Amino acid sequence: MEVNFFKIKKSNYSLLTVVFLATLIILPILSLFIGSIGIDISNFLYLSEYLLLDYTISTVYLLSLTLVFSLMFGVIPAWLISTSRFRGRKIYDLILYLPLAIPTYIMAFSYGDILSFSGPFQSFVRDFIPSLTNFVNQDYLQIEILAILLAFSLYPYLYAACRISFSLIGNNYINLSKNLGLNEINTFLKVGIPLSRPAIFSAIFLISMEVLNEYGAVSYFGVNTYTSGIFRAWGSMADMETASLLAIALFLVVCLFFGLEKWLSSKFKYNFKSNSDLSPYFKNSNKKLIFTHISCMIIILAAFAIPILYMVNNIIIDIDNIDFFDVYNLSKNTVIVSLVSSILIVVVVILIQYLKRISKSKILNFTGETISLTYALPGAVIGISLILLFSPINDYFGFLLIGSIPVLIYAYFIRYMAVAVSPIVSSFKKYPMKLDDSGKSLGLKPFQFFRKIFLPLNKSAIIIAFCICFVDIMKDLPLTLILRPFNFDTLATQTYEYAIEEMITKSSIYSITIVIFGVILLSILSVNQSKK
Amino acid sequence: MRKIVSKLKFLLFVLILTSCQNNQKSNEINIYSQRHYAVDELQYENFTKETGIKVNVTKANADELIQRMKIEGSSSPADLFITVDVGKLWQAGDMDLLQKIKDETITAGIDSEFLDPNNYWIPLTYRSRVVVFSKERVDVNDLSTYEDLASEKWKNRLLIRSSSNSYNQALMSSLIANLGSDVAEDWSTKIVSNLAREPKGNDRDQVKAIASGQGDIAVVNSYYIGLLLSSEKEEELKAGNSVGVFFPNQAENQRGAHINVSGIALTKNAPNRENAIKLISFLTSKSAQQTYVNNTYEYSVNSSVEPNEIVKNWGDFKKDKLDLNMLGVKRNEAIRIFDKTGWK
Repeated sequence: MEVNFFKIKKSNYSLLTVVFLATLIILPILSLFIGSIGIDISNFLYLSEYLLLDYTISTVYLLSLTLVFSLMFGVIPAWLISTSRFRGRKIYDLILYLPLAIPTYIMAFSYGDILSFSGPFQSFVRDFIPSLTNFVNQDYLQIEILAILLAFSLYPYLYAACRISFSLIGNNYINLSKNLGLNEINTFLKVGIPLSRPAIFSAIFLISMEVLNEYGAVSYFGVNTYTSGIFRAWGSMADMETASLLAIALFLVVCLFFGLEKWLSSKFKYNFKSNSDLSPYFKNSNKKLIFTHISCMIIILAAFAIPILYMVNNIIIDIDNIDFFDVYNLSKNTVIVSLVSSILIVVVVILIQYLKRISKSKILNFTGETISLTYALPGAVIGISLILLFSPINDYFGFLLIGSIPVLIYAYFIRYMAVAVSPIVSSFKKYPMKLDDSGKSLGLKPFQFFRKIFLPLNKSAIIIAFCICFVDIMKDLPLTLILRPFNFDTLATQTYEYAIEEMITKSSIYSITIVIFGVILLSILSVNQSKK
Repeated sequence: MRKIVSKLKFLLFVLILTSCQNNQKSNEINIYSQRHYAVDELQYENFTKETGIKVNVTKANADELIQRMKIEGSSSPADLFITVDVGKLWQAGDMDLLQKIKDETITAGIDSEFLDPNNYWIPLTYRSRVVVFSKERVDVNDLSTYEDLASEKWKNRLLIRSSSNSYNQALMSSLIANLGSDVAEDWSTKIVSNLAREPKGNDRDQVKAIASGQGDIAVVNSYYIGLLLSSEKEEELKAGNSVGVFFPNQAENQRGAHINVSGIALTKNAPNRENAIKLISFLTSKSAQQTYVNNTYEYSVNSSVEPNEIVKNWGDFKKDKLDLNMLGVKRNEAIRIFDKTGWK
């Protein structure tokens, strides 16, 4: 029973630690549950009668389309870049992460304007190709276009997950598949994808949660999703209790799917062995090269270059009115809260996942991944649940905890945990338990083993988790809006405030600053990736 | 052990004392605001310069702020609540989150038609929900009232945004209050069947859709037309100039165009009540009202303050005299009519 080496004695402490952390995360959800016991369900029944079916259908349609597009934009380039070497590869690899830094609502508002009648696209056609004027004069605010736009800013989750996973597959599997006579497409479909199943699933999970929680872009496009129902109950019907009930119902459905996936994936066990060899390369035929260049360029152009050029143009137009001191201040606020929260998240996720690994306790195993389910709750609902949770403290002690930076960071911590869980879990899973045993045979204690072997091995995933967390928190709106201290603005709140008041030109300087920070971070991530 | 307990008690006492002080810093005001325009910051800066009172603001959506005040209860730090939709002020009053303001020095400068008969809120500025029309394809004489937008002649020509938009909800509430819910429901059904496309986009997008020929008339907030007409983008200006602004229900026997006010209210437990009253008084003063209209496309609630040039060009108009609280009272009914008649 040497396998249980690390389990000795410490396991109780580790169990306690994890249970404590999990409680911290689950507490607000509990307060929501308790808050919704015994409420008047007449509005709930009303919504189910008139709207929920419609809302659910459009949610499912939007979600499926967004996932299909995200898979196209994320998985295919990740494979091409991981498995072949060509000129421009590193630059593509860097830029393909970057659209993550553009918030979904900014993507939607920007393209809404770019494609509109008075936007640059139609004006260009009117001026230079007048014969096409009528053809391009369309209503572009359609659910299908929304799905593409959402995929533009969300596919990098899949790209990041697949890049790690594909580059860890190593030569053995690829060679084997070649020997079995599979061509590259078949290797991709029959080896690459199945071996990356957990990574792809966790990215799909994140993207789905983002789509489910999206409100700004979907309401702009006139699409009513389930979240629109939550806000209809809250905003229009002034019934927060029904809104929480709807949020909880959504949460339970997500839990169900999550459990189902876990159950399904437990039935397909792959004997996966990662390989530290250099990435396997297929021969580059001209056809493949052309395909690679075209597909990467289209994605980069549409998901990154066009929105960025649009923002830059807005900034040039509005340059005289820009308050750069304000931009600096908001950047400082944004960076501080994002930095502290993402460090906190990454440390806690590593701790939980590592304890889970060495203790092998079932409870740990369960809590380790279920904590990421909080991502299924809309940010605004988490915000309210925290106000519910902390208001007794306000009342009792007279402290003003709500509207303080610690509570804001706590909120980010709960909400964005999921973003860090997936890269770290998929990376940890790649290393077999044998590794831990060899650690033991070298006489390393759990902490030493972690510091000397496990941490360096997973460094790349940890950096990815940190960067994605940071970028996501930087973009956060709902939590920041409701929980921020007095006079505290971030780049995202300022961007949103202008955008929602139909002053998109003025919002561009703030959104591009988010993108610049994102670019810096994701470049670190990308450089780190290509070093591997 | 006893020592420890007494030390802890002392510590707790100190903590409570200090935090209570936190809650009532005498030279500050805390505002929960739905407004987030640059002009607001300018107003607060001017106020601080004049009085030395520091203004703290938390900006968020009105529903979230109401919920936050409700949960925070008596420990809420908020002194003032500001919205751009009077319906939300009525709601906060209805939920017992506000206290009455009876101060004639404040109300003296405000036109009485905008005042709250219950004294729960003070209006700051107002906007109208107007009809814009394609100058090319619509004869202005064909336009008359909101009710007329339901007539056959506008089939597939009308543009309006979604029913989740609070300005549309306020408009529907005013129709229910003025004409009764049966008429309003019938109107809504016909409006839906007249739509040129499903409700989507913001107010500017409705104007752009007229420019592109997707529809001929649209119902929008006057404020956004002002924004569009002051755009630095040539194509947007063109789109803005391709439409005319029409104030409905102006004939002698008609009630006037629908308006909505942006207003301010004193919270029930306002820890800095006196300072808060000073700010309300400041914001309704003639000079502050002038600042509002110079920097936004809103109308002043003091009729002696003239609006911005762009807004002035649309001319004077008769305003609906309905008690503005009705825009909140009838809100829930309005939502149900929207849902029943399929106004997305």
